[in-house]
Amino acid sequence: MDAFLEGLMTSLQPINIMWIVIGGFLGTVVGMLPGLGPATAVAVLIPVTFGMDPVSALILMAAIYYGAMYGGSRSSILLNTPGDGSAIAATFDGYPMAQKGLAGQAMALSAVASFIGGIMATAGFIILAKPLSEFALKFGPAEYFLLMLLTLSAIISLSTGRMVKGFIAMFIGLFLATIGVDTQSGVYRFTFGIPHLSEGLEFLIVIIGIYAVGEVLYNFMNIDDDHKKEKKKVGKIWFTKEQWDRSKWPILRNGPLGFIIGVLPGAGGSIASMLSYTTEKQLSKHPEEFGKGAPEGLAAPESSNNAASVGALIPLLTMGIPGSGTTAVMLGALIMLGIRPGPLLFENQPEMVWTLVNSMFVGNIALLIINILLVGLLVKILDTPAKVLYPIIIMLAFIGTYTLGYSTVDFFLLLVFGYFGLVLKILDFPIAPLILAVIVGGDMEQNFRMALTSSQGSASIFYGSPVAVGLIVLTALSLCYPLIIKAFKRRKQQTE
Amino acid sequence: MKLFKIGMPVFLIALSIVCFFASLNLPRANLGNANGPIYFPVGISIFLFIFSVIYLVQEIKSLHDINEKISELFSGRTPLLVIATLVLGAIYALIFESVGFLVSTIIFLGLLLFLVNGPKKWLVNISVTLVFSFLSWYAFSELLGVSLP
Repeated sequence: MDAFLEGLMTSLQPINIMWIVIGGFLGTVVGMLPGLGPATAVAVLIPVTFGMDPVSALILMAAIYYGAMYGGSRSSILLNTPGDGSAIAATFDGYPMAQKGLAGQAMALSAVASFIGGIMATAGFIILAKPLSEFALKFGPAEYFLLMLLTLSAIISLSTGRMVKGFIAMFIGLFLATIGVDTQSGVYRFTFGIPHLSEGLEFLIVIIGIYAVGEVLYNFMNIDDDHKKEKKKVGKIWFTKEQWDRSKWPILRNGPLGFIIGVLPGAGGSIASMLSYTTEKQLSKHPEEFGKGAPEGLAAPESSNNAASVGALIPLLTMGIPGSGTTAVMLGALIMLGIRPGPLLFENQPEMVWTLVNSMFVGNIALLIINILLVGLLVKILDTPAKVLYPIIIMLAFIGTYTLGYSTVDFFLLLVFGYFGLVLKILDFPIAPLILAVIVGGDMEQNFRMALTSSQGSASIFYGSPVAVGLIVLTALSLCYPLIIKAFKRRKQQTE
Repeated sequence: MKLFKIGMPVFLIALSIVCFFASLNLPRANLGNANGPIYFPVGISIFLFIFSVIYLVQEIKSLHDINEKISELFSGRTPLLVIATLVLGAIYALIFESVGFLVSTIIFLGLLLFLVNGPKKWLVNISVTLVFSFLSWYAFSELLGVSLP
């Protein structure tokens, strides 16, 4: 309780409120740029936290993260172009509302729904995080290895129809993670005599390369379509009583749903928002209005999506396991800041965790205000031509990369990974398994080997405890899940 | 297009073979299990090979399916923009430390803007280049205390 109150006081310090507002605004701006989204926003803005004290940096990073989640839906509503996968559902009814001249109402409703979802999820975080971190303290190397395996398999299994590519992306990521000096034996692996690589491949370069440079290169394919953007009339920036009456229960229902989905490894905002949308359509008295500007069709996925983004922080902070591409980028940023997420974070630095949690409350309020009061400014930023924005993003990616290691060797790596990211996107490879594997690969190998060492080479350690068995079963289920769904659909088609 | 579709799995198969042999040739550990450092990379290479072969078979089966993204990559200004960005990035890397942050960034961002945004909008390009170069220098060097060349 003391740590909670201390965290509350810290998050209410003027300097931290300032970082929350700045981070929330920057995250919203980059997150709403079409085709970029939260992962890119966090990746590009990581260098902004350098030189700051860890608590403020953590607060800023988190504000950028959920600011980007808010921002993702701005371009969905105004341009019918989602900032990322989790904002797709906002296009279904948000864009039709904007077409009817109700863009201001849609954005206000989306901001309020995100706010309520975020607040509910933060409350859920407070309830769930501590017991989960205490449970995770019982994990040994074998359980950690299996937990990482489960996270990777869950992410791959959700790459619908492209599981083989997901596995390939994961193995490439795992291989990249082996570059550098092996911490257990001191053996140099795949450094090719380049001293800069001896500490391993800086995973933030991979992240910035693939997410920032790769995304921009990919968006070059449609760069000349920029003029097709139509300007929307924003209209009144608040929703009507009727819109609120139709939305309030869907918002309250889908916040907890999104939170639970967010906690599950690999699931995240995209699934949460799509599931909420379909659920609300089934429950609605006006299902025929869905897709034509139904307010609850916008509010439900927005509440769920934002709650999922808070939920996704639970496995990240309590176990050090990111459940999505964006939280993987967040993990990279935290490690850069010298913060090692995991159960010990709650034991050793509880004030830091509770400051973060309390900053989420403050941050959600700040974002609600930003997203309503600054709608006009956000719309203007969204009008900035992509042809001007993309070169700036590339420049920021280079500067960010330089600040990581003060070496221009990293610039070449950035270009290699940027091009690699472009090729992966064109060939429809899922990116998240690769990023996740690069980040957890090192720990995964070390835990695997430590487990084998402690069991004197016996593989029985990987199924020697109930937790390990549970994790194996869940991994097997997650890999079988797409096959079960496929078989189920085939049977359904046959019976029809 | 077919070459691009087949090229990737073939490249991945070749990569997995190279990784496999490179892993086998890694030095052995003097402490603990001598083969400890090679288990993981060898295992990954084997799995990468298996999945790359499955990917190749999938691509051969769908060889005639059109991937519009591949067509778009080779159409219009896209190839020029991609290649020029990579080349400009490499030049930026080469001159960054010798010329200094501000000058090299002005050159890099300016050329990139002229390339992407077109020479007709020269005033916007020059203004954005100067404003963002100075702004980023000020933000990183002065506010965040990052040491820039």
